[in-house]
Amino acid sequence: MKAVILAAGEGKRLRPFTMSRPKGMITVGNRPILEYIVEALVSNGVKDIIMVVGYRRDTIMLHFQDGKKFDASIEYVIQEKPLGTAHALSLAGPRLNGEDFLIVAGDNMIDAQLITDLLAKRSGLTMVVAESESPSKYGVVKMEGDRIVGLVEKPEIQIGDIINTGIYYFPHKMVELFNMPAFRKELGITQLLSGMVSEVEIRAVKSIGRWNDAVYPWDLLNVNTQALDFTGQGVKGTVETGAVLKGPVNVGAGTRIRSGCYIEGPVTIGEGCDIGPNVVILPSTSIGNGVQIEPFSFISHCLIMGNAIIGSHTHLSRSVIGDGVRAKAGLFVPSDSCIVRAEREVFQLSDVGAHIGQDTVIGSRVVISPGTVVGAGCRIEDGVRVSGNLENKSVVV
Amino acid sequence: MCGIVGYVGERMAVDVLLDGLKRLEYRGYDSVGVAIASEELKLFKDKGELSKIEAQIPRWEGKMGIGHTRWATCGRPSKNNAHPFIDCTGRIVLVHNGIIENHIPLRKQLEDEGHVFTSETDTEVLVHLMERYYKGDAYAALMAALSQVLGTYAVAAMVEGDDRIVVARKENPLVVGLGVGENMVASDVTALLNLTNRVLYLLEGESAIVTAGGVTLFDAEGNKVRRDPTTVTWTVDDAEKGGFEHFMLKEIYEQPAAIHNSLLGSLDEIYAGAVIPDMEINSVKLVACGSSSHAAMVGKYIIEAMARLPTTVELASEYRYSPGTGEGPLTILVTQSGETADTLAAAREARQRGCRTLAVTNLVGSTISREADHVFYTNAGPEISVAATKSYITQLMAMYLLGLRLGTMRQTLDRTEVRNLSTELRSMPRYVSGVLDRASEIEEAVNMLVPAHHVFYLGRNINYPTMLEGALKLKEISYIHAEGYAAGELKHGPLALLDATTPVVAACVNDHTREKMLGNISEVAARDSPVLGIGVEGDRELEAITDAMISVPKVPSILSPVPLTVVLQLIAYYVAKKRGCSIDRPRNLAKSVTVE
Repeated sequence: MKAVILAAGEGKRLRPFTMSRPKGMITVGNRPILEYIVEALVSNGVKDIIMVVGYRRDTIMLHFQDGKKFDASIEYVIQEKPLGTAHALSLAGPRLNGEDFLIVAGDNMIDAQLITDLLAKRSGLTMVVAESESPSKYGVVKMEGDRIVGLVEKPEIQIGDIINTGIYYFPHKMVELFNMPAFRKELGITQLLSGMVSEVEIRAVKSIGRWNDAVYPWDLLNVNTQALDFTGQGVKGTVETGAVLKGPVNVGAGTRIRSGCYIEGPVTIGEGCDIGPNVVILPSTSIGNGVQIEPFSFISHCLIMGNAIIGSHTHLSRSVIGDGVRAKAGLFVPSDSCIVRAEREVFQLSDVGAHIGQDTVIGSRVVISPGTVVGAGCRIEDGVRVSGNLENKSVVV
Repeated sequence: MCGIVGYVGERMAVDVLLDGLKRLEYRGYDSVGVAIASEELKLFKDKGELSKIEAQIPRWEGKMGIGHTRWATCGRPSKNNAHPFIDCTGRIVLVHNGIIENHIPLRKQLEDEGHVFTSETDTEVLVHLMERYYKGDAYAALMAALSQVLGTYAVAAMVEGDDRIVVARKENPLVVGLGVGENMVASDVTALLNLTNRVLYLLEGESAIVTAGGVTLFDAEGNKVRRDPTTVTWTVDDAEKGGFEHFMLKEIYEQPAAIHNSLLGSLDEIYAGAVIPDMEINSVKLVACGSSSHAAMVGKYIIEAMARLPTTVELASEYRYSPGTGEGPLTILVTQSGETADTLAAAREARQRGCRTLAVTNLVGSTISREADHVFYTNAGPEISVAATKSYITQLMAMYLLGLRLGTMRQTLDRTEVRNLSTELRSMPRYVSGVLDRASEIEEAVNMLVPAHHVFYLGRNINYPTMLEGALKLKEISYIHAEGYAAGELKHGPLALLDATTPVVAACVNDHTREKMLGNISEVAARDSPVLGIGVEGDRELEAITDAMISVPKVPSILSPVPLTVVLQLIAYYVAKKRGCSIDRPRNLAKSVTVE
């Protein structure tokens, strides 16, 4: 069976972390989200994959190439303009050769169980659904038995806690649905299906598998925590005498963990990093390739992307640090409950640090308040205090 | 400079050979041919690129065969001059990469003996020589034939009714891939990767008999040699285009990862003192050809700045014939493939002159890696596009690492400087990504270069060689005449050539030469030449005096060649694309040049 992965969109609500890559290429547990999706499909024997790509597709194509490295065979279909997932699917249609197929959203963290359950219980057009604690962010599903009778995207009033995971099984005879003129409009697959729940039977499969979607930057830490469950334990780099590694800790090739470091897993550290001496890293933290963390820093529950340079005496808690962020000594980012505004919505978050976009340069003794979102390429001068939302390339003096 | 392949096993040989040839096309692509041992020998060859003539090649049954893709050296590209060559009896067939220097007297001899030649090539004498000596043993006949020739070769031959492919090499690469019940030979390991990752590199002067069941290896004296195979860690998909329009574009985008890989472990090793052993040193010589020589010229500025060592750069093809006075103890040879004939010869010459040799190369197991005293691998991964991109950028990284090592060794850099520089090197993948994020701006800005017949590239200091490389890239793939110039030399000649139809690309970064560069750009603009400036983001002064400006991230000036190079690669790429050129395989060029 073939699978279509819809990975053409940017994931704007995750800005600034989608500045130079689509959402599916954001790394959690040091691997892009899309890689977990491909892995879940391949481990269920679904190896023929069509990826619909668009926004910054170079990053996807470079990573997956023809799929051989992932034991899959991957073809690419290009969606030049963001015209919605239904249009994306219609582009992939001609490559399906009349076979039944799966559709998977290219930006959600999934595990193999979701696919296993779908393959085992599918009958006709089938959607995988899951329970969610915060259904209002997603598409909520109304069901009668296992038949879907309603689909509401991001409902404003509470109508249920069963949500659409964006994973479908499509029998090939249903493909004609997608040759309708509706596809020439900008539509999502869910929108399209919600208009036809009364005529078309859509079954729901409830899975015990795990599904996680980062909608906003502060959701990334959760996804990262789930990803760290998939990462094994192993030290390829050098751990100097006097460094303590507890629990599942992964250290990539060419990385040096200097003396006096204390690292408590689950933690994964990429290749070619230089950590310490005397750095404390607590769960659940991912550190990308080529990262440098200078002495006496404290990192707890963070997602630090590649080539970031974190100065000495830094305190970082529950924060997301983008690629190539450079912070001088004494950056202070505590986590706490806070109120964040995004898209004219207000979010009350219980425990969160800061979110710093790629290539931002931070001077020494900077304090960043909980919930802050700093855009990409900003410059923050020495000794200032930052809070709120900073646009890309802002300068703070 | 050509690519050869051979296969013997259980599959349809013609399919395996064509797949292998596709991967070797970077070595030459003006004609293609295959010979298959079926009931009788079948032969097909023609002029043109493989993709254009592939459909005409008959799919003969047959489990053994040899194939060839040509880059003409002796005899123009034509059907008759294409390999394989067959003898007068139609039983012996052979492919060859290299040059037979005494082919003219040999040809005369053979013609006098009654052999009929069908081509203008030097290679054809080999097959007639084999015919002369053939007494039922293909291997003996090949050895006897090779004993008569002067020159260089990698050669594969087979004889009708014999289930062996016989091969030999001298100064041209040849590698045997070991499968199960099947074996393969090729000029380059990339052609074998679909079959196996266990390979035997033939060393200088070695020959071999290859059958489906095994490989027998002989040294130059004819003694049997036993050697364990090498396992290659590259996979086939490292060499696939994976959705990109051209290999060159893919390889440009692979540069952040390539830089990461080239630094991996090396930064640690620099501290540990690896790469160059502690030695008394008072000067350094760098030797290279083509793009590698530009990396070496950048290396000169780096080593002089970091290690305060007088450094000279020479072209390999010139160095070999120089009198070699006052040579220092360390000669650094830079070659992507490790097979470039001129650089290999220079390495041998340097050792004869008593120098310690350090090879900077991308290819593990290449000839130079075996012949030099020390090797620094750039770890760029396989590069398919003829125009060097990621191999060049990783050569630059090698130069920084060598500069750091020499500077540490000579204590011209203190610990803080070393630490700061290595921190900056860690950020290099980000600076390159920063340029790639702006590819569409560059695509837009190059329009002024597209219709040009001549373009000048100007830079100063460490970016003078970088602009030479930028000009070379444009020449190679867009066929526009481009010249790199040190901006200070402008008034000593090239200014006379500038007018409104001759655009100038000028690099002006934030270093001590910036003011002078701004002055030079004004001089150019005063001659009506359109100027494409490359400068640090937010440089209003530069923006004001140029017709278009591409910005690069601000980095310490010694590291400025890295982001600048990536801009220049994208300029060349987009110009070539807009001019409709064959980007991955420019006319008349081949990737690693194993002829002198």
